[in-house]
Amino acid sequence: MLELLGTIGANIISLPGILGLALGMMTRRLWLGGLMGAVVGVLETVIFAHWNFGNVAMVELLIAVVIGLCAGTLGSVIRIKGTTV
Amino acid sequence: MADSPEKRGRLGRIWNWIWTPAVAFSSGFLILAGFLAGILFWGGFHWTLELTNTEEFCTSCHTMEVNLGEYRETIHYNNHSGVRAICSDCHVPHEWNHKIKAKIMAVKDVYHELAGTISTPEKYEAHRLSMASAVWKKMKASDSRECRNCHNFDYMDFTIQETRAASEHQRAIDNNMTCIDCHQGIAHSLPSDYLEEYQKVTDELAVETSGTQSHQVADGSEEIRSFLNKSAD
Repeated sequence: MLELLGTIGANIISLPGILGLALGMMTRRLWLGGLMGAVVGVLETVIFAHWNFGNVAMVELLIAVVIGLCAGTLGSVIRIKGTTV
Repeated sequence: MADSPEKRGRLGRIWNWIWTPAVAFSSGFLILAGFLAGILFWGGFHWTLELTNTEEFCTSCHTMEVNLGEYRETIHYNNHSGVRAICSDCHVPHEWNHKIKAKIMAVKDVYHELAGTISTPEKYEAHRLSMASAVWKKMKASDSRECRNCHNFDYMDFTIQETRAASEHQRAIDNNMTCIDCHQGIAHSLPSDYLEEYQKVTDELAVETSGTQSHQVADGSEEIRSFLNKSAD
């Protein structure tokens, strides 16, 4: 449980959370924001596994993708709500 | 009108202010202010995080006195070269994602300090095996990542190592072993039955990762530990 919470928290203030949110804020299309966030989640996991897919833990990859997806979508929502253009 | 500005509460007005386009500030001002605020926030965040990596912070809890005393008897505390590995060097990863995960998971240490789980030497001894086992599992799973921040097989000159050390390190390379496979008691006293527990840890991890069991426990880790401690003296 603690391991899971730690992984979620780490992803929120790491690339999937921060860059995912930033990328999501660049578009009004929710699906595109979510997709970009998810891609960041995949990239981050692979980068921290030193580009070795053998080191990628599926749970960590899944959490990173879900966090990236949520952050990207939230970014797009902020874009829709917070801008006039 | 339910949502007229006059009838909104304080939270409603703040919410409305957040989402109303700024008319008093230029875009340049907002970008620059956001950038500066970001630097201040991130710098402060990182500085605070680094403060939690100091030996003073780690040992400020009463329950850390036992393992601090043990660590001070080892080569990682006092040695001929004057290089010291403090708590965070072995227990906190350097890479951001792993570091934040470790910091969040360390919340349990605060809970156990408050709950007094290991507040007496007797309680500490009762939990020593489970605490050691948790750390070994983490280190084995990460291929001793924190050890490798300083130590690396590629940087070792076997010709200037003791014959036995050189031979064991070569064996470790040949058998794809990792630092913690031999150096379990490198900084803290070992609990009894530690070899059986370590074997259990490696077996569990092998089953989790590949469904097979491996046997990668050094035959003489107690000897290695006492040799290194003698070197520290």
